Amino acid sequence: MDFDLFEKEVRIIERGKTLLESGAITCEEADKEYKKLHSAYKKLFKMTKRLVKMSDRNEEKLNKLAQTLDEKSKMLEGLSGKLAKYLSPQIYESIFSGEQDVSLTTQRKKLTVYFSDIKNFTQTTEDLQPEDLTYLLNSYFTEMSAIALKHGATIDKFIGDAMLMFFGDPETKGVKEDARACLRMAIEMQQRMADLKKVWWEKGYEHPFEMRIGINTGYCNVGNFGSEDRMDYTIIGGEVNLAARLEASADPGGILMSYETYSQVKDLVETEAREPIQVKGIRREVKPYAVTSILKDNDQNQHVIRQGCNGFDLFLNLDKLSDEDREKAKQDLSKALASLGENAR
Amino acid sequence: MDNILIAATERSPELDFNFETNTFFLKGESYPEDVTEFYGAALKALEAHVEDLDGGTLNFTFELIYFNSSSAKILMSLFDMMEEVAEEGNTVNIVWVYEADDDNMEELGEEFGEDLEKANFKMKAIEG
Repeated sequence: MDFDLFEKEVRIIERGKTLLESGAITCEEADKEYKKLHSAYKKLFKMTKRLVKMSDRNEEKLNKLAQTLDEKSKMLEGLSGKLAKYLSPQIYESIFSGEQDVSLTTQRKKLTVYFSDIKNFTQTTEDLQPEDLTYLLNSYFTEMSAIALKHGATIDKFIGDAMLMFFGDPETKGVKEDARACLRMAIEMQQRMADLKKVWWEKGYEHPFEMRIGINTGYCNVGNFGSEDRMDYTIIGGEVNLAARLEASADPGGILMSYETYSQVKDLVETEAREPIQVKGIRREVKPYAVTSILKDNDQNQHVIRQGCNGFDLFLNLDKLSDEDREKAKQDLSKALASLGENAR
Repeated sequence: MDNILIAATERSPELDFNFETNTFFLKGESYPEDVTEFYGAALKALEAHVEDLDGGTLNFTFELIYFNSSSAKILMSLFDMMEEVAEEGNTVNIVWVYEADDDNMEELGEEFGEDLEKANFKMKAIEG
């Protein structure tokens, strides 16, 4: 038997009709009133059915709209995911979370700036077929970007074979930790490049890439530059140029940093001071430091002591000391202590 | 009786009740927060006005894009009222205007119009 949602109402109407037609209501006045009531009930019933139908129809329409919105939202999500690849994840996050305003505003912040490129890129690649060049560049950028993201770098841009990154914005762990994270990243990148060189060599590339890295710590302007229609989240300033200059002076496969960075990371690496350089836009003479070897990372390293202040510089690497040198170091330190004692008197 | 003209909002339609010319017009979307507050006074005024109508002609145009259930109840009351006015010997012309591609509004107009026996009812499709 078919189910009728309004079965009860239909039965009432039928009963009313039967009653009215039966002639059981003998009073003419009452019969007239009953007929009116019966008609009003039929009208109300029709109205109810119509309202229920309309409500269902609106609900269906709303569900369809919700479904369309859901599809659109998924499409936007996919699109924003694709667009995200054109932005540094930190910038993407800060824009999508609403922390970052998409307007032409900049801030002055102390950042550690990383600049790198491939030594003799043009000469190295001029004999390469476009497919090989694409493979080499893509594998190089993919590997380096993964390391950069692991260390929390904000990847500013790729310029041909060069990379510009920075630490300290939009997230910062403090100037010291930002500089140290940058150096750790640069070291891991050069180590990975050494592995990649072997891979590329084995694949038949005669002149594998060699990367040079420059690092500098200083105040930069960071934010959105460009026009209201097309802007870039980037950094500008003399300190950025300095990172690029340091990179240009770095050894192939090497890392060259300014004193400002060096002072934050000196217990992490052994360095060699290089000839001071002058950089346009920077008044001071820049003392570059080239990384010569890596010390066991970090602050728990008990085998390396690096302390200093104006007029005092101590670097002690217990792992490297021979027995003979250890004795000599003891004598030198004793002399230094005695000398300090005399001056104190 | 003073004419009533209420501008449309996001949730309520334009309401234009001209008692001098006997033309009445509802246009837009109708899902006001309080349906009685929005329609109450206008409906009461219309009810009072049609009581005095004697052998006159009344034109009512509905041009709605969307309405909720409470508004539907108001529309049904209006249709009822118009039918009663026609039953009393007046000429009542109702036009239901809907966007050509809006099947829902077309169907609702047909349903509302099917109960009318004395009032004239016309459906008019327009380009959305």
